[in-house]
Amino acid sequence: MIFVTVGSAFPFDRLIQSMDNWAHEAGRGDDCLAQIGRGRYKPAHMKWHETLGHTHLSDTMQKAKLVVAHAGMGSVITAMQHVTPIVLMPRRFEAGEHTTDHQMATARWLEGKPGVFIAWDENDLAAQIKAAEGWAGSDAGLDPFASKDFTDRLNAQLTHWSEG
Amino acid sequence: MTKRSKRILAVASGGGHWVQLLRLRPAFEGFEVTYVSRDPSSSQDVPDARYFTIGDASRSQKLAFLVVILQAFWILLRTRPAIIITTGAAPGLVTLALGKTLFGAKTIWIDSIANVEKLSGSGGLAAKFADLRLTQWPDLADDSVEHWGAVL
Repeated sequence: MIFVTVGSAFPFDRLIQSMDNWAHEAGRGDDCLAQIGRGRYKPAHMKWHETLGHTHLSDTMQKAKLVVAHAGMGSVITAMQHVTPIVLMPRRFEAGEHTTDHQMATARWLEGKPGVFIAWDENDLAAQIKAAEGWAGSDAGLDPFASKDFTDRLNAQLTHWSEG
Repeated sequence: MTKRSKRILAVASGGGHWVQLLRLRPAFEGFEVTYVSRDPSSSQDVPDARYFTIGDASRSQKLAFLVVILQAFWILLRTRPAIIITTGAAPGLVTLALGKTLFGAKTIWIDSIANVEKLSGSGGLAAKFADLRLTQWPDLADDSVEHWGAVL
């Protein structure tokens, strides 16, 4: 199953509509589940929900063979933890898709990371989905926590304050 | 209730902010943590901890932002933390600001890893209210923002 998700902060109709078109043209509509947030475009070919509750979201992430998402860190980190390939299409500030253009920078940083595929715009989606579906995978998911050096240093600071 | 010096309030908006906060949990070892985020169902990620929800206004949405301020104040009254830590966004900034100015808490702002090229707007404003500001990108560190590591 392909899980399409745009988070819940802002709509992202450009991605949802492009994926709906792709699903139709590729005959993969039954294979796609979309989380569309407050988007105005309602998919005609994919199953969709506005939001998924915690349990439904975990189940869906577990089952998904591929995630197609905006370039949001929640989607990226969750996919990495599940060792699920992810295609990211960054939101653009000038299209009114976010409050800043930071998803472009996030996408530039993540491009080339194992299992991460960047569709710079809707015309690139089909090719990136194809590449992602051919990804061989890696052995282990991302560790659930930040590096020990970082959390140890934070813990030492918290402890210093609490004893100070 | 645990003595105040050991109480932490950990605040994050939904989505990536929350996922990043969860990755920092080992840092809270030895403390009593109350978590705050947007989705009621996120409490299932931290089943053994106290959990409050807060709205998700950006700084430009006036009415929703006012609601967030009231919610943050209420949560601070209920929890009286010694330390507040947030991974953003605006609701975390509000909680830091109120916690610092009205409750005398120690405060940490951790800018999202998504801010690769410059600090977030809320992260800039947090300079006034944070005892410690961290960026997850070495290039963005300066005299007032430190780099200690990243969640990834």
